[in-house]
Amino acid sequence: MVRNTSGVRHILGPFLIAMLSCCLSNALLAQPAEEQSATDKPVSKVPATEAGAAAQDTETSPEIDPATKAALKLEETLKQNGKCLRCHNRERTKLLEDGQELSLQVPKEPYVTSAHGEVKCVSCHSAIGKRKHPSKSTNISIASERAYSVEMNDSCRKCHRQKYTQYKGSVHSALVAQGSDKAPLCSSCHNPHAPVSMADYQAETGLPCKNCHENIFDSYSSSVHGQARINGNTIRDSHIQAPICSDCHHSHEVTALAIGDVLRTTCIACHENVTLLHNQWLPNAGTHLDIVSCAVCHAPFAKRKFDIHLYDNVAKVPLTLKEGDPPIQDQLQAIADEGGDGDPLEIWKSRSGIGGEGQAADISLRSRMEVMSGVAAHQIASKSFAVRTCESCHEPGWRQKQNVTLSVTQPDGRRQSFEADRDILSKSKAIESISDFYALGGNPSKFLDILVLLSLAAGIAVPVGHFTLGKMINEYLARGKR
Amino acid sequence: MSTTSSEQPRPDVWLKTKDSELYINPLPVRIWHWLNALGFVALILTGTQIRYADMFNVMSFETAIKTHNWVAFAVIANYFVWLVFYLFSDRITVYHPELNFRKFFDKAFKQIMYYSYGIFRGAKSPHKVLPYDKFNPMQSITYQIVMLLVVPVQFITGLMMWDIKRFEGIIEMAGGLEVVNTVHVLIYIFFISFTMIHAYMGSLGHTPATHFREMFTGFEEEH
Repeated sequence: MVRNTSGVRHILGPFLIAMLSCCLSNALLAQPAEEQSATDKPVSKVPATEAGAAAQDTETSPEIDPATKAALKLEETLKQNGKCLRCHNRERTKLLEDGQELSLQVPKEPYVTSAHGEVKCVSCHSAIGKRKHPSKSTNISIASERAYSVEMNDSCRKCHRQKYTQYKGSVHSALVAQGSDKAPLCSSCHNPHAPVSMADYQAETGLPCKNCHENIFDSYSSSVHGQARINGNTIRDSHIQAPICSDCHHSHEVTALAIGDVLRTTCIACHENVTLLHNQWLPNAGTHLDIVSCAVCHAPFAKRKFDIHLYDNVAKVPLTLKEGDPPIQDQLQAIADEGGDGDPLEIWKSRSGIGGEGQAADISLRSRMEVMSGVAAHQIASKSFAVRTCESCHEPGWRQKQNVTLSVTQPDGRRQSFEADRDILSKSKAIESISDFYALGGNPSKFLDILVLLSLAAGIAVPVGHFTLGKMINEYLARGKR
Repeated sequence: MSTTSSEQPRPDVWLKTKDSELYINPLPVRIWHWLNALGFVALILTGTQIRYADMFNVMSFETAIKTHNWVAFAVIANYFVWLVFYLFSDRITVYHPELNFRKFFDKAFKQIMYYSYGIFRGAKSPHKVLPYDKFNPMQSITYQIVMLLVVPVQFITGLMMWDIKRFEGIIEMAGGLEVVNTVHVLIYIFFISFTMIHAYMGSLGHTPATHFREMFTGFEEEH
């Protein structure tokens, strides 16, 4: 359309400028207040009478009413953004270095009516100003859409400082820092040109988490939590919302719940009487809640594992590696590989130097029962299906039947696990390190079993032997008398 | 001491008299003994069920644990019946150790010889059971070790495992849960044969029923 009218505009241009100048000079003479609104201040979209009144107020009072100031600022913003949208409302693309095309289109709707509609385009796109706008001659080179998103990510901090700080502490941000090209940026979940409020997220769809965690979300959807959510929370009291992703993992400071007792704390945040309920029937409920992940019993079909992690005895938390500590992969892999022949703790210490002799850290091995995968961890079933048979863990040889992983929390907060040989738990060299890995009835000792049999045999043999001996002696002596 | 007590009976609130019978076991001792006996049998059986869940299925693991815990608390409470009775009565002399080692070993040897040979020949026990001198030297030393060392250790290790979290610090000091459990199991092993042999030796009185009757009625015929 612009192309069709450009010729007409060319002819009418000088005439229109002259007309506009005339009108403007008349207006300046007649309405001094309007002069201010038309030049120094942004044009207000509020009704003319109100704008006029506001303008008169600004003239009469030295202090501008904050509401008016905000309204005027908004008008200015809308005016400036309007200039950008005049072009960017239309479909247009930019060829990137990776050969892909980046859409430069920012649809006026919903942008102008969104929360960001009140923010100047240049607030985020600061590199593109009035005199800095790229053109064919001053083209800006962009490697890829991802690279541009990473570059732009910091701009969110200007307004959303708290959320941004939370995000920077998240596992997502840590992955981005490590160079992941899939880990989410702010714009991965929030379209910057069409942001919606929290209330507008259709949580049941699983978006945006589902974009990356589809398997986990499907698992969640079929869980008691997911079903409750879909069915309008009919399982619990209606005032309690069944949890969606962000309720447990948080929206911005996204954490892996498998670390330490974060999962338990998260579950207890809603199921606050869980300790009391378990105390009513479960012997050693406190210990069970400490060392058995909720999902181990409440996701009854999940495969389980014995997760051995390094524990900082001084700080009394699972060991988190610090920046500068030796790389963890090789050491854990070595323990996983060699652990069957040695003490995993000693292998760890000798290879890493952390927690060894002369080191400040006092490190031991601790264990937790976990489920094998994140997918399994979300398959929480109704309480009536939860595992309640103690024998599922407390049976002889139980320890030897478990999958075993060795894990440590990395500086970025993620837990890295390696599958280890099951024998790692039954080698005599590891006895001291794993002395806490005890499950009643699950730790067979052939030596003790033999002693039990011997004791039973003695309990039978002594009375029977003594009685028989007496009979034999009496018979022998009686025979001698005869 | 035994001669003195047999010749000059002491005034004793627990002392009853019966013609030609001695009042050996006062009521608190009998109550404690039989409750303890029942408790120990129940603890051994439930303990076996807990330890060998794959071999026996008399009851579920959960029931076995809960029964074991409740019975254990009853046995612990009952232990104090025994302790308080002996601490606050002069019957504690039944446990007085023979401080003369030569005399002790001499008497112990005679007792061993009696159980090894004399008993089969109808000989009289070298130790005469009296209200204030109930135990022969071997019984005295065995019961003292059992009641003052073995049983308390079993109670303490059992308590630690009853609430691991509460006794976390003590368990750590003791060398970890596996150590605590191993001690508990070793004592359980000891009590398996102890209970059986104890019951058999109870039948080695003047008649097989003598000591059993004595434990029910408190009286034993003078022999």
